[in-house]
Amino acid sequence: MQVVVEFFGIPRARAGVPVTTCGGETLGQVFTELAARFPELAETCFESGRLRPGYIANLDGQQFIDDPKTLLNDGQAILILSADVGG
Amino acid sequence: MHAYHGCYLRVDLASGSCQRVPLAEDVLRRFLGGSGLGAYLMLQEQAARFDPLAPEAPLAFVFSPLVGSPLTTSAKFAVVSRGALTERFNDSLASSGFAIAGKKAGCDAIVIVGQAAQLSTLVIDDGQCRLEPASGLAGLSANKTEQQLKAAWGADYQTAVIGPSGEQLVRYATISHSGRHAGRGGTGAVMGAKRLKAIAVRGTQRTTWADPEALHEMAKSLSKRSFGPATAKYRELGTAANLLTLNRLQALPTRNFQQGYFAGAEAIAPEQIGAARRQTRASCAACTIGCEHIYHLGDRSTGDGVRLEYENLFALGSLCAVDDAELVLKASRACDELGLDTISAGGTIAFAMECVERGLIDAPWLTFGDGQAVLNALEAIARRDGLGDRLAEGSRRLAEQIGHDSIRFAPQVKGLEIPGYEPRSLQTMALGFAVGSRGADHNRSGAYEVDLSSAVDRRRVQADDARLAVETEDRAALIDSLILCKFLRGVFDDLFAETAEMLRAVTGWRVTADELRLTARRIVTAKKQFNILAGWTPAEDTLPERFLETPLPDDPQASLSSKRLAELVAAYHVERGWSPEGQIGPKDLEILGLDSE
Repeated sequence: MQVVVEFFGIPRARAGVPVTTCGGETLGQVFTELAARFPELAETCFESGRLRPGYIANLDGQQFIDDPKTLLNDGQAILILSADVGG
Repeated sequence: MHAYHGCYLRVDLASGSCQRVPLAEDVLRRFLGGSGLGAYLMLQEQAARFDPLAPEAPLAFVFSPLVGSPLTTSAKFAVVSRGALTERFNDSLASSGFAIAGKKAGCDAIVIVGQAAQLSTLVIDDGQCRLEPASGLAGLSANKTEQQLKAAWGADYQTAVIGPSGEQLVRYATISHSGRHAGRGGTGAVMGAKRLKAIAVRGTQRTTWADPEALHEMAKSLSKRSFGPATAKYRELGTAANLLTLNRLQALPTRNFQQGYFAGAEAIAPEQIGAARRQTRASCAACTIGCEHIYHLGDRSTGDGVRLEYENLFALGSLCAVDDAELVLKASRACDELGLDTISAGGTIAFAMECVERGLIDAPWLTFGDGQAVLNALEAIARRDGLGDRLAEGSRRLAEQIGHDSIRFAPQVKGLEIPGYEPRSLQTMALGFAVGSRGADHNRSGAYEVDLSSAVDRRRVQADDARLAVETEDRAALIDSLILCKFLRGVFDDLFAETAEMLRAVTGWRVTADELRLTARRIVTAKKQFNILAGWTPAEDTLPERFLETPLPDDPQASLSSKRLAELVAAYHVERGWSPEGQIGPKDLEILGLDSE
């Protein structure tokens, strides 16, 4: 199963790319793979298999999700972004 | 008394008098400072009775108990008046040395009434006031005015000034200090109506702290946390990083809120232009975050830089459909120099562009996507030249002039142009906009943070969620009265408990988190009470019909009916303890200690 991962804000700066593809059936599995591939992203944004406070994930630009057990479908887009978008 | 001087300076520009008016400790404890104390002062001065641009209308610069302390981001002040755009309560915050110097002049606020006989500078030297002619500063940009004042009066003076827009009473003119602005609601027009070009202040009077040792420990801890992940976005990217995030969520206002997605966003995003144009970072006095990102214009060798914030990018970029980064940066700098609020300027210009498209304004040069036209419009607004004279009144008054039901798509609430959060996509924020005391506003209601979480379905917010809007508004009221920077809010586990400790350390009061929760409610209600006295009606707590009639074109789920918004507004009012229509009962005023104000 492949999902598209899009990075915004600090997660993009840490990942060094705006978008990538990733395997995994759950959000937690996607995080695990991302952490292995992008150590700087992992150091800043992940903690104990979850996103740290201040960062959040969104499914297909629709629903914000935070449970690592969230099941994913093939081809879905996971957005990882800074939760605080105040200006 | 610790942390306060226990008085404010009341300056009458007509008579030249300057009184020191006592502020009781009980008042200071109930309203703190900044926005809260400003609300108290506006009620006391009966500002709701006066046209905001009348000579008698009071204009207050309000400091706070934390100003001058070692707490990071505490060098802030509020500028408070009846709003030139809204004719409702208006509080605008700015930062840096003016707050420190103003408080060292020996007062907790400066209230200015009356009108000077000629364009003047108010000089406040350690609490002694005098007026100096400022005819030589007429028409100068905000930056040049501050430079000339520093040259004339010395670097130990801190200055708050208006640019050409304030002199011309543009209803969204700013008051500028050191390149920063008390931006929203037209504070600069209120100052301009007093023929006051500038205030120069210095002083030597420091307040004492009740528990300096505890205060320094808190300051160290707060500074350390301000370097952590909660503020990384502001330090490394600045607020401009919001642009692509909101665009991806179809929440980036585009073409006068006709769309929530801007195809040209990448071209003006900091991620795209940053490598070639970012020069440096800057920060306010007493701040460890350093959120200001300076971008250079044209050739990097000129050193010609401009601060860039998300709201500038949205208002002067996507809202006007401009995807030329150089022109957006130039427009942003023009607003800085002319002393214009970028959100209201961009909102009014975008509204005019749509009116041109619909044949309601005869100005074929003013079209979506034309960045040079935006620049030309900004200059015309600041000089009130031609069409600029009409645009200088803001989108609500312009719509009222134009007629043809154009008010339906004028992007404002209570006259204040809507900031860069599409209400149909972010519906808790939509509620915050509708009920905001100063109009559509993201600083007094931070409800967008609820929408960007798993707490609500952002496109289907329900009445039960109104409490979340109340909570964000209360937190903002506290932060804006203490005053601290909102960019710190992510570092607090419990804002009310931690700031109670801060307040205890500076004042010696045995303040609790619960007391501060009540204080926040009191401050929000005091602003509402001001609005009621100024003529507020329940019909004002809504959004323009565009948002209630039409889903977003590319996101049909982003739909908000007038019925559902009315339910949200009523739920908000009830959550506040008011009637469903938003009326405050005498008992509520008594509980909050507002019955005597």
